[in-house]
Amino acid sequence: MGTVHAKSLDPLPMHGRDLDVHPEDFMETPDQGQDSKQEILENKDVVVQHVNIQGLGRTKEDLLGYEISDVFHAKNLIDVMKRAHVARQRLLRLGIFKDVEVLIDTSEGTDALPNGLDVTFEVTEVKRLTGSYNTMVGNNEGSMVLGLKLPNMLGRAEKLTFQFSYGTKETSYGLSFFKPQPGHFERNLTLNMYKVTGQFPWSSLKETDRGVSAELNFPLGVTNHTLKWEGVWRELGCLARSASFAVREESGHSLKSALSHTVSVDSRNSAIFPSRGALLRINQELAGYTGGDASFLKEDFELQLNRRLFWDSVLSASLWGGMLYPIGGQASCIADRFYLGGPTSVRGFGMYSIGPQSEGDYLGGEAYWAGGLHLYTPLPFRPGKGGFGDLFRTHFFLNAGNLCNLSYGDGPRAHLQKLAECIRWSYGAGIVLRLGNIARLELNYCVPMGVQSGDSMHGNWKLAEGRQRRESGGSRGRCSWNWKDS
Amino acid sequence: MVCRRYTNKAAEPWPENATLYQPLKEDQILLSDCASSLAVQAYLRMCGLPVQVFCRANAEYMSPSGKIPFIHVGNQVVSELGPIVQFTKAKGHSLSDGLDDVQRAEMKAYMELVNNMLLTAELYIQWCDDSTATEISRPRYSSPYSWPLNKILAYQKQWEVRRKMNAIGWGGKTLEQVYEDVSQCCQALSQRLGTQSYFFNKQPTELDALVFGHLFTILTTRLTSTELAERVKSYSNLLSFCRRIEQTYFEDKSS
Repeated sequence: MGTVHAKSLDPLPMHGRDLDVHPEDFMETPDQGQDSKQEILENKDVVVQHVNIQGLGRTKEDLLGYEISDVFHAKNLIDVMKRAHVARQRLLRLGIFKDVEVLIDTSEGTDALPNGLDVTFEVTEVKRLTGSYNTMVGNNEGSMVLGLKLPNMLGRAEKLTFQFSYGTKETSYGLSFFKPQPGHFERNLTLNMYKVTGQFPWSSLKETDRGVSAELNFPLGVTNHTLKWEGVWRELGCLARSASFAVREESGHSLKSALSHTVSVDSRNSAIFPSRGALLRINQELAGYTGGDASFLKEDFELQLNRRLFWDSVLSASLWGGMLYPIGGQASCIADRFYLGGPTSVRGFGMYSIGPQSEGDYLGGEAYWAGGLHLYTPLPFRPGKGGFGDLFRTHFFLNAGNLCNLSYGDGPRAHLQKLAECIRWSYGAGIVLRLGNIARLELNYCVPMGVQSGDSMHGNWKLAEGRQRRESGGSRGRCSWNWKDS
Repeated sequence: MVCRRYTNKAAEPWPENATLYQPLKEDQILLSDCASSLAVQAYLRMCGLPVQVFCRANAEYMSPSGKIPFIHVGNQVVSELGPIVQFTKAKGHSLSDGLDDVQRAEMKAYMELVNNMLLTAELYIQWCDDSTATEISRPRYSSPYSWPLNKILAYQKQWEVRRKMNAIGWGGKTLEQVYEDVSQCCQALSQRLGTQSYFFNKQPTELDALVFGHLFTILTTRLTSTELAERVKSYSNLLSFCRRIEQTYFEDKSS
């Protein structure tokens, strides 16, 4: 939270039309004076004559005009303070200022009106180049991540980011350019270029993706839309000599050129532990019509509803599903299919280890659905309430899901029937810890049911980490370049 | 008395559904790969082991060693002629059992000669000769892929082969020198073959399969110039050798 100073060089009261204003009214008084003070401040008509921004270096002024223009419409002092606060928030969200302070003063100069005000925003720009260096350890490998960011590169809140990760098993890097539309920060364009390698032991597969993408985000009413084109050169290979032949047959190179559209409506109050609100996200991807080898239509959706119940507990219901339809008669590629299982979808089953498999390697499926019902409650007896204890929750859950291949010759009725038979489900309870705003750590006791032959489970106790879902749940196993906004 | 039974996994019989994988025959496969694949097919036919040939655009990447051809037998995958010969030997099929040690050493030496001379010459002509590379090798190699992946993969392969040629000292050779090397190799083979039906006694060995694979492919593949085929044709006993093997083992095969 910043501070808003109301300052005047003239001794109170001001001259002009508004007389009968006494200095005592503006001093800090106990509560009984508050109401009268508020009334006086609200009744006092003011005109904002100038809005200045001081401290600009490389930022172009026309960009900021949109953010602060609203301050001119203020009618009284309280309104000025409110609008100035809102303008300050808008300036900060551009990501180009380290700090913004607001100064409200009476206007001076030859054209100064008696009730005129000058609002000044004193800004501190961020440095031209910032770097970061992290080391990460996990998944039996260690890596070093180097990040370079050029915020506000050309003066209109553009951002260029370069991230390089060097690890014992893989090397990844990517370059990203972000440009918002001046005046409408929520409408922005992102251009990416990346190389990512991933290893997927559940399929005995390793994948290297080299790609470029262009993404356009814009809000429409309450919905948020994303239009994206992505061109990826994918190289698949066997992770071990003992990989199954079905996975070996998928080795090689392919080119995917896909257009995708995502629409999402998110009214939750938090991404990790929402206590109210809903999320609906629908994503579709069409590959093959802009070049490339891969040709398919992919649809998936995610729905989550949260509701606060008695005693600070939250009931959360979620449902997600998807379908992959290969176009042109060729079979789908293992890199495009959906995967299910693990601590983020159906607990109790091995990571992405549900569904069609060959010699122990999970091949993914062309259609899936999964659902979960969670009841989150605070820890029993609420230890550490108000502090550390608030990061923990106990949860009781019921998960279910199914993953299979569809033969598109059959009708939709046969498809629904296929998805409805052999449902895997599990129930259990555990403790959840929130890590920052991006991930959660869970310790669960889980009983898997409806296990089909070929599925893999782990023991009933499981400690697992789940990241906030950014791509669609089932297909997240594949390589994707996710930018972590610092 | 306790009777224990040990099964030698390697001695499992050759299954009916053994398969051999190579690149697409019509549009993709190149001279060197076709020769290697034909050599393996000839060897398996000589052993009397049935194998079905599948063509896959990504055969090179499916192979565990990156080289074609490879065979999928039971749940094992073996690539290249040398390891395949070892593999069939472990299953009890061998063509060179009747040879003594001297002959076996001689056979190995000639196989090395074919690999070092003929195979390397084929790779050189395909990828280091600009006209062949531009007109034949790069378009064929990249035919299953779409732009720009086809260009990237073709140039990547060419760069890789040229680097290997430089490493073994062939980078500085001219095309004429390479043809000379091929001629010398054919002369050595022709002399060893003489008037015999096969290189060793009356029975074919893996050397016969290897020589047949390379020579037959050279004779029947169209390149930018016929120089290579002409050099081989000048040795008539090698020609009749190829024809003989084709008629004996591939008579149902349509060329």
